[in-house]
Amino acid sequence: MDSGKTPQYWKSWEEGPGAADLVQISTDEFPEPLDRPAEQFSRRSFLKAAGFTAAVAAAGIGCSRAPVEKAIPYLIQPEEIVPGVSYFYATTCGGCPAACGVLAKNRDGRPIKLEGNPQHPVSRGGLCAVGQASLLELYDSHRCKEPQREGKPATWEEVDRQITAQLALYRNAGSPVRFLSGTISSPTLNAEIRKFLAQFRDARHIVYDGLSSSAILDAHKDTHGERLLPHYRFDHADVIVSFDADFLGTWISPVEFSRDYAAGRRLDAYPPRMSYHAQFESRMSVTGAKADRRIRVSPQELGDVMVRLAGRLAHLAGAAFPLSVGATDQPLDASLDDLAHRLWQARGRSLVLCGSQDIRLQVLVNFINDVLGNYGSSLDLERPSQQKAGNDRELQALLEELRDGKIAALFLHGVNPVYDLPNGDALAEQIRKVPLVVSFAGRLDETSALARFVCPDHHSLESWGDAEPVRGTISLFQPAIHPLSNTRAVLESLAIWGGQPKAAYDILRDYWRENVFPQRKSDTDFQTFWDRAVEAGYAEAPSAAPKPGHFRAATLQAVPKPARAGGEFSVVLYPKVAMLDGRHAENPWLQELPDPISKVTWDNYACVSPAAAQRLGLKDGDVVRLEADSGKGSAAALELPVYVQPGQHDQVIAVALGYGRKATERFASAGPKWLFGGPDVGEDGRIGKNAAPMLILAGGSLQYVHDGVRLTKTGRRHALASTQTHHSLTMPQNVPLVGGEHREIVRETTVSALLAEAGKPSPAPPGKNGLWPADHPYNGHRWAMAIDLTACTGCSGCVVACQAENNIPVVGKDEVLRHREMHWMRIDRYYSGDADVDVVQQPMVCQQCDNAPCETVCPVVATVHSAEGLNQQIYNRCVGTRYCANNCPYKVRRFNWFNYVRNDRLQNLALNPDVTVRSRGVMEKCSFCVQRIEAARIESRRRGKPIADGQIQTACQQSCSSQAIVFGDLNDPNSRIARMARDPRRFGVLEEFNFRPAVNYLAVVRNRDYADRTSKEGQNHG
Amino acid sequence: MNEKVVTIVLIVGLLFSLAVLAVQASSWHLPGNQQGYEPAQPIAFSHRLHAGEMQIACLYCHSGAEASRHAGIPPAGTCMNCHKFVSAPLGALRAEDELAKRENRKPRQVVSPEIQKIYDALALDGHLVRDPQKTEQAIVWTRIYRLPDFVYFNHSAHVSVGVACQQCHGPVETMDRVRQVPDLTMGWCVNCHRTASASGVASKPVQPSIDCSTCHY
Repeated sequence: MDSGKTPQYWKSWEEGPGAADLVQISTDEFPEPLDRPAEQFSRRSFLKAAGFTAAVAAAGIGCSRAPVEKAIPYLIQPEEIVPGVSYFYATTCGGCPAACGVLAKNRDGRPIKLEGNPQHPVSRGGLCAVGQASLLELYDSHRCKEPQREGKPATWEEVDRQITAQLALYRNAGSPVRFLSGTISSPTLNAEIRKFLAQFRDARHIVYDGLSSSAILDAHKDTHGERLLPHYRFDHADVIVSFDADFLGTWISPVEFSRDYAAGRRLDAYPPRMSYHAQFESRMSVTGAKADRRIRVSPQELGDVMVRLAGRLAHLAGAAFPLSVGATDQPLDASLDDLAHRLWQARGRSLVLCGSQDIRLQVLVNFINDVLGNYGSSLDLERPSQQKAGNDRELQALLEELRDGKIAALFLHGVNPVYDLPNGDALAEQIRKVPLVVSFAGRLDETSALARFVCPDHHSLESWGDAEPVRGTISLFQPAIHPLSNTRAVLESLAIWGGQPKAAYDILRDYWRENVFPQRKSDTDFQTFWDRAVEAGYAEAPSAAPKPGHFRAATLQAVPKPARAGGEFSVVLYPKVAMLDGRHAENPWLQELPDPISKVTWDNYACVSPAAAQRLGLKDGDVVRLEADSGKGSAAALELPVYVQPGQHDQVIAVALGYGRKATERFASAGPKWLFGGPDVGEDGRIGKNAAPMLILAGGSLQYVHDGVRLTKTGRRHALASTQTHHSLTMPQNVPLVGGEHREIVRETTVSALLAEAGKPSPAPPGKNGLWPADHPYNGHRWAMAIDLTACTGCSGCVVACQAENNIPVVGKDEVLRHREMHWMRIDRYYSGDADVDVVQQPMVCQQCDNAPCETVCPVVATVHSAEGLNQQIYNRCVGTRYCANNCPYKVRRFNWFNYVRNDRLQNLALNPDVTVRSRGVMEKCSFCVQRIEAARIESRRRGKPIADGQIQTACQQSCSSQAIVFGDLNDPNSRIARMARDPRRFGVLEEFNFRPAVNYLAVVRNRDYADRTSKEGQNHG
Repeated sequence: MNEKVVTIVLIVGLLFSLAVLAVQASSWHLPGNQQGYEPAQPIAFSHRLHAGEMQIACLYCHSGAEASRHAGIPPAGTCMNCHKFVSAPLGALRAEDELAKRENRKPRQVVSPEIQKIYDALALDGHLVRDPQKTEQAIVWTRIYRLPDFVYFNHSAHVSVGVACQQCHGPVETMDRVRQVPDLTMGWCVNCHRTASASGVASKPVQPSIDCSTCHY
């Protein structure tokens, strides 16, 4: 393992090459400045006084009875339900159009956790942070509780009568009716919308996505004759080249792609596989952080680089290439030669993608994939993806109609155009002028607040429905709970207004009987087919495949050479893994989730490269004003705090979309209220700033790059709640070790180094001598975890899964600033290198050490070792000395400084009844999901069968889309965990101190030579 | 502030409180210990009659104990399995029969007031048919055996290895009104776990864990 050159790791620009304050920061007990008030009544005498009071109170309580508790049984108990037992219902995630399969864990009539459905053909068991958190939105007390008419509560009868009457007028007059929605892949809902719109002479359904992939579809219309989104198959690709597509983070279907990507990089598989991944990008994305070769290019250069790569490939293939590849002897030539060579070697088994919204670039990518023969293998056009269907050209046409005031009725479903399109204010005015606006939004957002009628749809966990993420694979939604308030499915609303009222379940079932069932040749009985589909959560129903034509080279268009306009920066607008386009902005779990790269919570910010920051004298938190020229789009200005982002292009400012929603004003009371508490929201009362005004909707696509932006300093500061330097692992170099040497906290190696070492015995973990006697015999089970850092992308699905499973509170921005976030799981992100940084993600949970430093210092024995290797934290015994957290070398213990906000009784329904809700003054930490271990043990005893390997899955493991986490019994030599613990890549963090952690890490493997790292090519050009 | 004054005031307060408490010393117990708790229930259901005289198995009504954390209180539907046919004690029925014979009339239907409460809860009319005029009303029992929220006791784990119900709940089959028999303290739990690992349960060896996380998580 030592043959790979070990780089120097650092966590933030301040402690990295940026400055030399590292030692100071990491050795101070409190990194933030302290201001203690002068004491009059000393802490000591206060405690004395408190002691008396407590003694009297305790004696008094002794004579009182506990409050009377009632127990209310069912009157008639449903046959399939036993109170206290969890049931799983297969349904589909409604968090985004990717439509991953989920199992809703139901307990006593309410869903309490979503788990990925391992059988689902799209997601295959993974679930992202948004999916995990979508559970909380079910229990949101801010959801619309009934239909609204002109902002006032109304009844469904009233709303239906008025809408039907008005629609009848439009039907007779032939007035234009428009249905604007996000991507709807539901065949039933699409059919219902078609049926509804068919009654009008001038009616159209327009689809757009806040995070648009419209250019890919348009490009395929040009090159292959059909407007399609290919189904990308990363598991079929040995060489992956991505141009600004963040496919592991936010692009189209990240859960599915992460799973497939990890399948192509499995060193423990037989034969071992390791794909080669090159990423060209301007900002640091989750995907770029995983790349074997990451090259910074500005958005303007992207086209030029692609043309040159395409030219090389055309040359290798002997195909005609009509575009000029430019002069030789340019920067990146060697890299492009190498890449073209690799791609050509892997033709038919490679994949080239582009996240740009420039149709010319997408056509170019299609050309490259066609030359490489990837269509039919790693790009499937016969069963295309339907996860993005937006059509920005039609959106533009609709906006023109709105501007001209031509539209009579506008229906809005799953979109918030006033918020997420440029010129939202003007659009709001135009929407106000439309005579009939009906919104199906479940919450009052920027757009639905303007609607004359709000007809709230159910939450996805309350409704029947379907989705067809990939043609031929139909995923089913089934309700896991009765609707919590007086909402109504869109299917039902449309059926009523169409004059044929019908329940959503019947509409769905009838559609399946008439359209899906006939596709199934093997089934003879619809009821059997339907029951099986509901049980599995999906059905495969091969439908008529599209017949795309062959690539037409004539469609290639010249790409303009990079030319810098007016200002000095380009603003790149990107989605964050948690916030996406802002639809989940009201979800506190997602707001508090640290971004996988920047680790900032509760804010968006202007990412600038370290070089640019140095040149302009900017530091993290300096508020800058970004002004866009009015030339192309409209004039737009944004004031945002700066975040110095290593690995970003020097001429690019990256700003996250999805922030500054009006609804985030609710988070003003997100954290605990106390004397020294600070604000949890920004100065304008919201979380972050809306960057949508910087978007450009022109030329038939919604573009996320705004050139010519001027940056000016405002002199103000805005604190960013970044967790990146919280709970740092540090090893003072002066600590003597028992016969060991200081080792790196993360390790990485290369494929070639690993192959060279194959067959050699792996280095044994450090010796067993130490202070502690061998008092843990582990006669039964011995629980342990392994985390494959090669597979981990840092996507943070596990963090939210853990939060949902273990009742972890939200603390609010002010508390995060005080280093008091409560996540049991944090993902440490380390950089290495200078300008072209590498990133390593390391999930850090309680290591359940055999020789746990926390256990020896607890004065009340509230943290003790179990006979199965767990480091138990006993809340009822804890008195909150915090000695354990001080002594924990991994900094994974969290202290309840407050009784965190749980005022929302509805939201408390999401609590897991199998885990104690901790109160103030108690320490807590990762328990290896001991409630799941105990449940499995009881179940195994009940059935008289031993616990099988893989039967217990921790919440983080269950959620991991790339299967990086494995949990099991180390005492079973055939278990997966035991095999991983014998892997030559295995290492333990801080093992040299003889803590003997139960979490085994497998080193990061990169598919490259370390010579690549030192190459200066690719830096600072353009 | 003068600390001495504060200290003296507090000591005086403490002594006063102790004096007050000494008067009530007989009812003193540890906080949370509800041993002997015997509250009145909404229906005067007698375990002595049902489990004792009639010998109905505990699990017939508390079927959750086999499968779930909670033994559960039976739903009213379970009561109706028998009380569809039994609406009053046998003695009351016989007395009505005799009275009817004496008065030379057909015997009237006799419903005991306690069983009537089940019919009311289920909104049933005199012929035990659902009466649309009435609304169903849940039966709100008072919970007796209660553990703090940070303790996870699982009935099925104990029932499946053969621990008898009476071992924890006492001679319920002799009680007209159920009373909490054990003190439900942690020492009581752990002692049993210790003895059981030495002597087994129902003459079978068991390995009850005494790790904290067996019950606390």
